[in-house]
Amino acid sequence: MKFKILREDLLTPLQHVIGAVEKRQTLPALANVLIKLNENQLTITATDLEIEMVSVIRQMMDATGEITLPARKLLDICKSLPDESMINISVDGDKATIQSGRSRFTLATLPASDFPSLDEISSVHEFTIPQATLRSLMEKTAFSMAQQDVRYYLNGLMLEVGGGILRAVATDGHRLAYCEKNIDDDLIDSKQVIIPRKGVGELLRLLADSDDEIKVILGNNHIQCEMSDQRFTSKLIDGRFPDYTRVIPAEEGNTVIIEREMLKQALARTSILSNEKYRGIRIILGPNLLKLQAQNPDQEEADVEVEIDYDGHPLEVGFNVNYMLEVLNTSKNDVVRMIIKDANSSCLMQFPDDEECKYVIMPMRL
Amino acid sequence: MQRRKIIHIDMDAFFAAVEQRDNPQWKGKPVIVGGMPDSRGVVATCSYEARKFGIHSAMSSSRAYKLCPQGVFVKPRISDYQQVSRQIHSVFLQYTDLVEPLSLDEAYLDVSQLELFKGSATLIAEDIRKKIFQKTALTASAGISYNKFLAKVASDMNKPNGQFVITPEQGEAFVAQLPVGKFYGVGKVTEKKMHEHKIFTGADLKNKSLQQLGRLFGKSAQYYFDIARGEDHRPVVTQRARKSIGSETTLQSDIKDENEIKHILQLLTEEVCVSLRKKQLCAKTINLKVKYHDFEQITRQTGLDNYSCDERLFFNVLCLLLKKTQIGKKPVRLLGVSVSDLGADVLSSSFVQLSLFDDKGD
Repeated sequence: MKFKILREDLLTPLQHVIGAVEKRQTLPALANVLIKLNENQLTITATDLEIEMVSVIRQMMDATGEITLPARKLLDICKSLPDESMINISVDGDKATIQSGRSRFTLATLPASDFPSLDEISSVHEFTIPQATLRSLMEKTAFSMAQQDVRYYLNGLMLEVGGGILRAVATDGHRLAYCEKNIDDDLIDSKQVIIPRKGVGELLRLLADSDDEIKVILGNNHIQCEMSDQRFTSKLIDGRFPDYTRVIPAEEGNTVIIEREMLKQALARTSILSNEKYRGIRIILGPNLLKLQAQNPDQEEADVEVEIDYDGHPLEVGFNVNYMLEVLNTSKNDVVRMIIKDANSSCLMQFPDDEECKYVIMPMRL
Repeated sequence: MQRRKIIHIDMDAFFAAVEQRDNPQWKGKPVIVGGMPDSRGVVATCSYEARKFGIHSAMSSSRAYKLCPQGVFVKPRISDYQQVSRQIHSVFLQYTDLVEPLSLDEAYLDVSQLELFKGSATLIAEDIRKKIFQKTALTASAGISYNKFLAKVASDMNKPNGQFVITPEQGEAFVAQLPVGKFYGVGKVTEKKMHEHKIFTGADLKNKSLQQLGRLFGKSAQYYFDIARGEDHRPVVTQRARKSIGSETTLQSDIKDENEIKHILQLLTEEVCVSLRKKQLCAKTINLKVKYHDFEQITRQTGLDNYSCDERLFFNVLCLLLKKTQIGKKPVRLLGVSVSDLGADVLSSSFVQLSLFDDKGD
């Protein structure tokens, strides 16, 4: 097999799929990308057996066939060539030659038949959604996913579709992020899937901030997202996601409304002297005053006061300052609303202009 | 202070002996327990027949195979050994509660207070070895002395199936003639360093002042100073807390690339931190172990100012330690990460992050 291709036409799809290639593979074939050619398109596939990413370039090709090539080496070669270079690729037995100008590389190939493909996915439900909408939904929640928690079902993002609403929920057991968007979908009973962490990261990398539609296919064991020239498939985490409705508190209690930027700066300032590991800070609410306090193991202290409108009960409660800052960073709203019942109950954070998102943070006992 | 009576019991070629016991056809044959010859594993234990060929523990299995191709190579059955180890331990407990296990096949017993055999530690040791044999059909050797250091040295003197006594009167003279390499706590590196300073025997060591030793060996100086005089005040500790938590891996093939090595270190660090968290512990010292392709092994360590179980911190410290190795220049065969100086994080008690979900329901 022999074909030629413009550097950019190979580089772009390679960059799209490279995230799926693990740095340390269990199977030799997983270090490679599968390149498929037919008359009018070139398809590049990468997988780690957990996720699969496919990128397509539609153009007339001067050959047909399938090969696999070492993913990172091929990417590095493409990157290193000058812009607009023409790349000639020819395969002979288990060797492939990449030639461009006066540079020539010989790479080892593996047969395309060795390249693993994910199981066929059986669609249970499908819907379409603008890329920007899905992206925003995921961005506003994914940061709350657990990392390597023994409760493996928390190490991912839960998507739930039903009743014309798509919801994304992530929690690490200490805090929870919830976001919903209306979508054009007629499913009545809701369907839940949990996308593993790595898949969430790669999908977010693919999604553009555009109104172009993406087709989402939910299977029993997979989620697949199709765009015009890319396809993303991920296995799902097989587990029952905790009942988020039970932990989102009612919107009643001591309410603080405060400028987002001001709170963010005050928290960041206080956090300098919080314990580096536990990140605990104390929030003290009194008549029209918010006090933030931190103390580190060396007994150094920070005290920051902010004037606010507050006529609720005086209250003293501890929080992980990182959890609060991460929530504040999800929004560009001017104002944030915090509802705190007491020092042992969760705090609900919301942005009045963005009521679709709800953030729940459990306090710290200090 | 009353002289103590310490017995060090050491099973003879333990893993290999268990294998020979359970597979009678291997009796009298060189049995090598550990990695398979075609693997990159090492010898864990080998039978006395195998030792005649020059095989010893920690040697690579492939090398052992070259020395003795007719040897019986067996994969370790750790759970079986653990079971035998429990049997042996139960024998110890028939004599005293003051038992400090060192590993599956070794333990110190403090028998100072025993009235059995009119308090003769020699006879007690013989009786213990007899009981172990009755119960497990395996032989043990014993060292009897007035401290742990000498008891341990002594158990090696009449191996296998023998015992040796070092009395308080003999202690100093015994240590004086002992090559420093035989001292417990003196590894190859320290031995070499001692040789460089013309310290070859216990007597040479004794000629050095504490200050001289301090300059050479830092914290360990006091220990060397004491043992050169046949003194070792360490008590028999019955329930030792875990001293370190670690994880290591022999690579599938030798690796030179620093980034790949970092990636593996990251995985090892994760494992270590998961175990730390499970035990609710924090650590103050981070150790990196590297075995190069030529089997040269080095360890590097750094102490932290505070207890921590922060994965990123550990990883960053390890990356700094890498600079003190030949990683990137010399291919690496094995990587290990461990943390020591363990302690419960005192701060954790004052910060309790509450959970969203009660642990039962979810």
